[in-house]
Amino acid sequence: MAEKTRKQEFFKGLWGENPITRQLLGLCSVLAVSNAVINGLAMGLAVTFVLIFSSLIVSLIRKIVPNQVRIASFIVIIATFVTIADRTLAAYFPHLSKAMGPYVPLIVVNCIILGRAEAFASKNKVSRSVIDALGMSGGYFLTILLMGLIRELLGNRTILGYPILGKWFSPWVVMLLPPGAFIMLGLIIAISNVIDFKIKERQKRV
Amino acid sequence: MNLATRMIVTLTSIGLISGSFLAIVGQVTKERIIFNKKHEIEMAALKVVPGASNVKMIYEERDFAIFEDRDETGNLIGYALQAAGTGFQDKISLGVGVSPDLNTVLSLIIIDQKETPGLGAKITDEISFLQYWKNRDCSKSLILRKPPVDNPNSLAPNEVNAITGATISSQAVLNIVNEAIKKARQLQAEGKLSERH
Repeated sequence: MAEKTRKQEFFKGLWGENPITRQLLGLCSVLAVSNAVINGLAMGLAVTFVLIFSSLIVSLIRKIVPNQVRIASFIVIIATFVTIADRTLAAYFPHLSKAMGPYVPLIVVNCIILGRAEAFASKNKVSRSVIDALGMSGGYFLTILLMGLIRELLGNRTILGYPILGKWFSPWVVMLLPPGAFIMLGLIIAISNVIDFKIKERQKRV
Repeated sequence: MNLATRMIVTLTSIGLISGSFLAIVGQVTKERIIFNKKHEIEMAALKVVPGASNVKMIYEERDFAIFEDRDETGNLIGYALQAAGTGFQDKISLGVGVSPDLNTVLSLIIIDQKETPGLGAKITDEISFLQYWKNRDCSKSLILRKPPVDNPNSLAPNEVNAITGATISSQAVLNIVNEAIKKARQLQAEGKLSERH
């Protein structure tokens, strides 16, 4: 396969290899904390921080670490950044930290991060790994944000706590509960599949 | 260097570097995290007794604490009870303001809860729940009004509104409050709440 340009490396994370809609990785946190926009934002930022820095470090030390202990090393590195993110949130944004509960520490086991470390950062140059991490976290960020927008709007009539829909709209409480998360995620994946299919059809005709 | 030593050296150094990094981050954030927790409870204790300008913790045990609320001139205007108990899904922690004679609930605030979003979580909502907790007569146990009424004035003095669809959460809050007031009364009878001004 021909080497991708940097632009392609970045955009594949947003669409073609989007970690959530295409690779179906790291769904636990997406389902759990997307019930409000602000939680989605904070989770997206935390994952972005951890993914970029762990990809950077993993790529830097890729030639030093013996193959046999690479996974253990990656996990230690990831856990370090997750703990930094978690402590910082708890110290400076206590409300957000409370709303996200155990899901920040659980970024350690988020498959996107170990997945990118193993599949990409450990085999590629530093600059390329960071671009890949940016694209992947961008894809994660946008998807969890979209979920948060729809779920908060339909489930609570608000966006970021500001009322958007009037009293005439009876909130769909189910959207705030776990079933709502599964339904939304299923719809988003289905819609993105349809769009992807259409794009490929058009490319074939050309 | 043979493979075994390389493995040991790499993992050890990664561990050491991460460890020292985390030690620094832990040191920097530790005080602020403790401060945040204390501050949150104190702010709640101040808020539940209207007109209070300073609070002091005078009693503490597991899941229960009493704060004295005084106004600007130093008069005791009420107590804030911080209590926690079992909710529908997890522990509910709340603060309740009571008059100095422990016969009136001044107001209620929920500090921490993990009830069902959209249903039980409404216990944190001013309009659908907390507003009905203002100035309740708690000389006897408080009871739940079910189904809820719209106007706070149509509640009996010792009644509070339940939340439609979340009776268990409403009942849990009520039990925690009743229990806390009972405990405070017991402590007062034992003379552990200072009456000095």
